[in-house]
Parts: sequence; C-alpha cells; structure tokens
Amino acid sequence: MASAQEEQKKTLALDSSKPAKFVSPKAVALYGILTALTAAITYASYTPFSPTKGYFNLGDSMVFFSALAFGWRAGAICGGVGSAAADILLGSGIYAPITLVAKGAEGFVSGVIGRMHGGNKWAMAMGIAAGGACMIVAYFFGELWIIDVGLGKALAEVPVNIGQVVLGGTIGALLTYYVRRSRTVPLPA
Amino acid sequence: MTGFIDLYTEADTFLHRMDPRVKILAVLLLSILAFLLSGLSSLLLLLTFIFLLLFLARATLGKTLFALKFVLRFMVLIVILWPIFDPSGTPVLATLGPVKMTEPAIWRGVTSAVRVGCLATVWYILMFSTSQRDLVRALVKMGLRFDFGLALAISLRFLPTFSLTIESIKDAQRARGLELDRGGLLRRSKNYVAVLAPTIVSALRTADTLSLALQSRAYGARADRTYLRDLRMRSSDYVSLAVVLLLVVVPAFAIFFMGVSL
Repeated sequence: MASAQEEQKKTLALDSSKPAKFVSPKAVALYGILTALTAAITYASYTPFSPTKGYFNLGDSMVFFSALAFGWRAGAICGGVGSAAADILLGSGIYAPITLVAKGAEGFVSGVIGRMHGGNKWAMAMGIAAGGACMIVAYFFGELWIIDVGLGKALAEVPVNIGQVVLGGTIGALLTYYVRRSRTVPLPA
Repeated sequence: MTGFIDLYTEADTFLHRMDPRVKILAVLLLSILAFLLSGLSSLLLLLTFIFLLLFLARATLGKTLFALKFVLRFMVLIVILWPIFDPSGTPVLATLGPVKMTEPAIWRGVTSAVRVGCLATVWYILMFSTSQRDLVRALVKMGLRFDFGLALAISLRFLPTFSLTIESIKDAQRARGLELDRGGLLRRSKNYVAVLAPTIVSALRTADTLSLALQSRAYGARADRTYLRDLRMRSSDYVSLAVVLLLVVVPAFAIFFMGVSL
C-alpha cells in the first residue's frame, strides 16, 4: 500500500496543476549562472595593490546585483557560494567558509531590504548599507574568532572591506538599474 | 591573473579512488583537529601530515605552490602583527611607545600562523583529488537537495566558460581604448563597468537557453531522480574513515578528559 502511495506521490510532479516541490528550471539555470558569474568576476577583477594595501575585487558588485535584481534567495545563494568558490580558486581557501557566511548574509540582507517598496533608490541604498555592514562584521569576527588571526590583521581588513562595499554597491546598483530599465530580462519574483 | 587553474588533477592514487563523502568528512575532521591542537609542535606535525597527503595525491609542484602562495603571505602578516597587538607575557623584548614586544606573544603568533597554514592547505587535498562531478554527487548524497546540487554543478561547469568570456570582452574593450590597468581605484572600477555589462547580458542569455535545455530534458519530471553511477562505500573507505576518526578522537580525548595540553 505504502509503495503505491509513494509511487503516486512521485508521479504527481508530472501533473502541471500541482506546484512542483523543487525550484523551477528557470531558477535553477539562473542561480547556477549567477553563481558562476559571481565567481568568475571576482576572479577576473582580482587586483592586488601594493603589498601593504591588500587587494580589491568587484565580487561585491555581483552579490549586490544578484540580490537587488533577483531577490534575496539569489543574493544569498549566488553571493555566498560564488564568492566562496572564487576564494578557493584564488588560493585563499581558508577564507571560503567565512566568505560563504559573510557574503551570503550580505546578499540576503541587501535582497530583503533593497527590494522593499518596489526597490526604489532609497531602499537600494539602505539595503546595500545594511548588507555591507553584515559582511564587514561577519569578516571581522570570523577572522578574529574562527581563523584567530589576531586583532591587528582583523582590524586592517575593515577599511579595505568598507571600500569594497562602497564601490561594489555603487556598481551593483547601477547594473540593477540598467537591467531593470532594459526589461528584456525576465525577472523572477 | 590571466588564465584559469583547474584544481583537479587526473591520477589514480588511493585518494582519487576514495569515496568523496569520506574525503569531505576527513577534511572537516582534520580542520576540527587543527582547532583542537594548541601546541606548536603538534600543529607542525599535523602540517607535515597534510603535506604528506598532498604529496600522495600527486599534486604537481606548481599547484602546491599556488595553494601556498596566498597562505604564506598571510602567515607572515600574522607573525608580524600578532606581537604588536598582544602585550601580555613577561619577557619583554622591546618597547616602542605603547607597543610592547613579548616573547610568548611571538610564539602565539607563530602557532596561530601554523594553524592557519593547516586550515588553508587541508582543503586542497579534497580539491586536488576530487572531480567536480564526484563532489556534487557526494554533496547530494549527503543530503543536499538535487536541484541545488544541479545549480552548483551548472555553476562549476560555467566558471571557466565565463572566465574566457570575460577575458575576450576585456580584450575587445581594450582594443577600443579602455584602460583597465591604470588609474586609481575609482577610475579602474568605473572602467570595469564596460566589461561587466556585456558579460552580464551574455550570461543572462545563457541562463535563458539553459533553462530551455533543462525543460526539454524533462528536468523535474520526477521528484526522485536516478543516477547512472551510484556512490558506494568500499571496505577501504571505511578503513580510511576509521583512521581519520581515530586521529581526531584520540587527541580530543587526551585534551578534554586527561588534561593533556597538546
């Protein structure tokens, strides 16, 4: 009896009137592509400055872009996984778990706040600020408590991260604006 | 940073044949071990063990250096910055205004740097010896929903493709006179928008085509999907899992119940 019921449950997914339990093919393709894009852009735009100043990359702009244009789910998944993958590829794999949480939270928060009131200018700015703050705090405490790098190294990262958020947020908001204006891209809710 | 490094190397070592689930668990357990240990000598021992495994995974010298390149700079920074922010301890070596250099602080910095080295290199054992396909399948077997697993597989598949796309778009824009390597931070990032916009447009087009391809292959027709090849634990996998478990449990027992400081 139980197996027959199970079989019925499985074939129910074929019935288009019932909503499927899993993510639609459109969303799967979009999430996969956005994740790859986040990682690829972080990787390609990675520019080390002078040895003391650290480096900068445009990965944050992609995190904000996914979050603001496609919602918090895309922001959290694509931002977190994509940035963590880029960390591994750039040889800083030790950061990958922290990055997963920090950028995931950044995407999540900026996606939730940045799309309030139909995602107008102020909502986007607030979302970027709140998401960026989440990322900076997560990195700071992650470095201090989890990797245990010492206060000096953790503090040295904070201004670099603030710069990344400001630049990434500006570019991400601009990209979102252009993509929305073009209206050629189907934006899932 | 041009070109794209594929971390996985095709080889036939015992690490390559091992069940990817065991490898993921082993890497997690070894990371926990690195947090448990607090002595310099035991951490150095762990680092040696990790390098032995990397050697056994037939990692080429170039790839090992790549894994270490970033970590080494990181470790040096920790050793330098740790004593400056940690004024505790008695034998004061040097004083410069409010900054005190103490001997125990230096040792703590070195210990922390070695731990960071362990944590950073241990993941490359997994990355060097596991193909993307195996990695995603292991994660799905361990409880990841298969639709998220598919999204992960898609993203890993398209990473090199997009890297190439970005490179060619960069070249095309450079040919039109765009300067990407000059100017300050602001100018550079502003110029980068000219690369980002076409990349995103092409990526979103790819996503659209891909979703059609997924639909045409009846993605999601059944909630339980099947696999051509299934992962099966062999006896050697159980042995390796037991060895790694012992490696973590014995020091943990010694630290928490016998009060030994390792």
